[in-house]
Amino acid sequence: MMDDRTLAFHGLAIKRHADAAAVAALTGQSIDTVTQELAAAVATGRAIEARGGYTLTPLARVALQANYALHFAAPRADDAFIQAYHGFERINPDLKQIITDWQTMEVRGERRTNDHSDAAYDDKVIDRLSTLHERAEPVLTGLSRGIPRLKIYADKLEAALDKAEGGDPAWVSDIHRDSYHTVWFELHEELLRIMGREREE
Amino acid sequence: MRWTLRLDGATLPDRAMVGGKAWSIARMLSFGLPVPPAFVVTTEACRAYQEGAMPPGLEAEIDAGLEWLEEETRRTFGRGPSPLLLSVRSGAAISMPGMMDTVLNLGVGDAVEAALAAETGLPEFARDTHHRFLDLYRTIVLKGEDAPLPESPREQLIAAVRAVFDSWNSRRARKYRQHNGIDDAIGTAVTIQAMVFGNLDDASGTGVLFSRNPSTGERVPFGEYLARAQGEDVVSGKFTPQPLSAMQAQSPTAYEDLLRASEKLETEARDIQDIEFTVQRGKLWLLQSRSAKRAPLAAVRVAIEMTDEGLIDQTEAVARVTPEQIAEVLRPRLTADATDGLTPVATGEGACPGVASGVVVASSDEAERRGEAGEDVILVRQTTSPEDVHGMIAARAIVTAQGGATSHAAVVSRSLGRPCVVGCGDGVMALAGTVVTVDGDGTVWPGALAMEVPTIDDHPLLRRLADWARAAGDARFDRQPARQAAHG
Repeated sequence: MMDDRTLAFHGLAIKRHADAAAVAALTGQSIDTVTQELAAAVATGRAIEARGGYTLTPLARVALQANYALHFAAPRADDAFIQAYHGFERINPDLKQIITDWQTMEVRGERRTNDHSDAAYDDKVIDRLSTLHERAEPVLTGLSRGIPRLKIYADKLEAALDKAEGGDPAWVSDIHRDSYHTVWFELHEELLRIMGREREE
Repeated sequence: MRWTLRLDGATLPDRAMVGGKAWSIARMLSFGLPVPPAFVVTTEACRAYQEGAMPPGLEAEIDAGLEWLEEETRRTFGRGPSPLLLSVRSGAAISMPGMMDTVLNLGVGDAVEAALAAETGLPEFARDTHHRFLDLYRTIVLKGEDAPLPESPREQLIAAVRAVFDSWNSRRARKYRQHNGIDDAIGTAVTIQAMVFGNLDDASGTGVLFSRNPSTGERVPFGEYLARAQGEDVVSGKFTPQPLSAMQAQSPTAYEDLLRASEKLETEARDIQDIEFTVQRGKLWLLQSRSAKRAPLAAVRVAIEMTDEGLIDQTEAVARVTPEQIAEVLRPRLTADATDGLTPVATGEGACPGVASGVVVASSDEAERRGEAGEDVILVRQTTSPEDVHGMIAARAIVTAQGGATSHAAVVSRSLGRPCVVGCGDGVMALAGTVVTVDGDGTVWPGALAMEVPTIDDHPLLRRLADWARAAGDARFDRQPARQAAHG
């Protein structure tokens, strides 16, 4: 288990330049706790604050990373968790393809920006996202069985999918909100850190 | 008949009963256009099915429908020498996501494959048709589960009908209805249509026709044709299609019929049509007609010209062009001679179109700091992760050493509308500190190159459209198009 400070730092490392509320939403801590921890971090030179957003200083980042092996020793040795992680990595390329097909489309053999003028095309992509989510559900359950706070990602993915299915397309991949893609990639980043792996692309 | 309806063109059926797809087939028939024969299992059967079982009498009606298709096509279902194959499609009165997709080539098994091979003289085609059927059936009807296929084509057909009815209650379909206030009781129909063959002889073929050019919007039909081929061959990219003149030379009557059909369908739909067709032994068959996807500038041109032609009014023209299409037309671009004599400093895969110049920085923190200080920066990274998003937001363009079109960098840059080139190789990191121009088609040029930024009022076509919008008090074209905010 991570202590409150480490968890807040970990959340901030994933969500760069975020306010306390955004970090709390990611880590499942209370906003008060995160506010306190981040204020203390600024006072001791471990984080900087600019325009309401916090960022870890490079040294604090390195220190955090160095302790991952210790903090995540349990999941790294847990076969069920490792399996769920591999399940995530197996689905990941499909998710990336779906998001790419959402943002671009083939018009007469040429890839173009999807201008969202073809509702039938968009509907099909969201159908594929729904199907992918169904495949991801057991994986997400497996991950939060190992580390309960990861359930937040499953909840946020479901919420984003719900809104996208309900007709608000910004919830598919808009970077400025907790869209399906934003949450998925934060989860991917989280898992890479937990497992001590490097991103491939 | 209680549960099925034959589409014979004599009367236009109730759309709520037969669904949108069958209704459009019936409508094409009512214009006298040639469409392969089809019958529909109605939405009423779907409603009855939702009570828990196949409605009594439905299977017998499907059998009778098959016999009718056999008579119409002079082919036989499930056996040779001229086997009848079917397409099975879902279709509610309102087009709806989450429904079972189309199953093609239903009716082929080992014996039918042999018959098809003998009839066409194309054993490879027969085998391919068989494989395509098995693939589609497994993915769509069996949903990838490792279950055995029903033994006979007839049982496969019944199972496909059930699968369409079951898909009415898929998670996606239910959510869609719930969110859009669509009555759960309306149900879906199933269209069962004879397949036609574009590969029987030299007077057979398949193709697509756009009633206007979808790239330029020009009012000239634009199409591609492939002789001795099946529908998917044109789309697959395995073969190089021929221009329509090839069709005109081989099957002149079908060609004339096609152009007449195109005019008629476009006038009726009041929009550019994308028409799929097959020529079977010199006779034209229309498979599908729908509004065509088009390039952004074509969307603008078509909206204006159709207004001038009296097909649509100004309000409709304005509504037909999306802010994203405008943003695309108005995107900054390099001037025509900007790259003369230059060699790119890096090339990769274009991930998001557009051009931007700036000084290259290799860290996201630095990109953010210098970007906020008012500098134009280009972020170059080995790869990007969620940690880099703040730097990507601050940058004018993004370049990576590794990764492809689906990488994190590609996805985020498209969400932000930033030009992006991915997979340039490790050497690209050495650009840090230099000034470059990134062209999202996949090239990084040295220096800050000359660009032009079109505006609505400079643009002869957009200006007319914007004036129509302004006259109606609609400011949509005058707002800064915010691609990322609208659709991410």
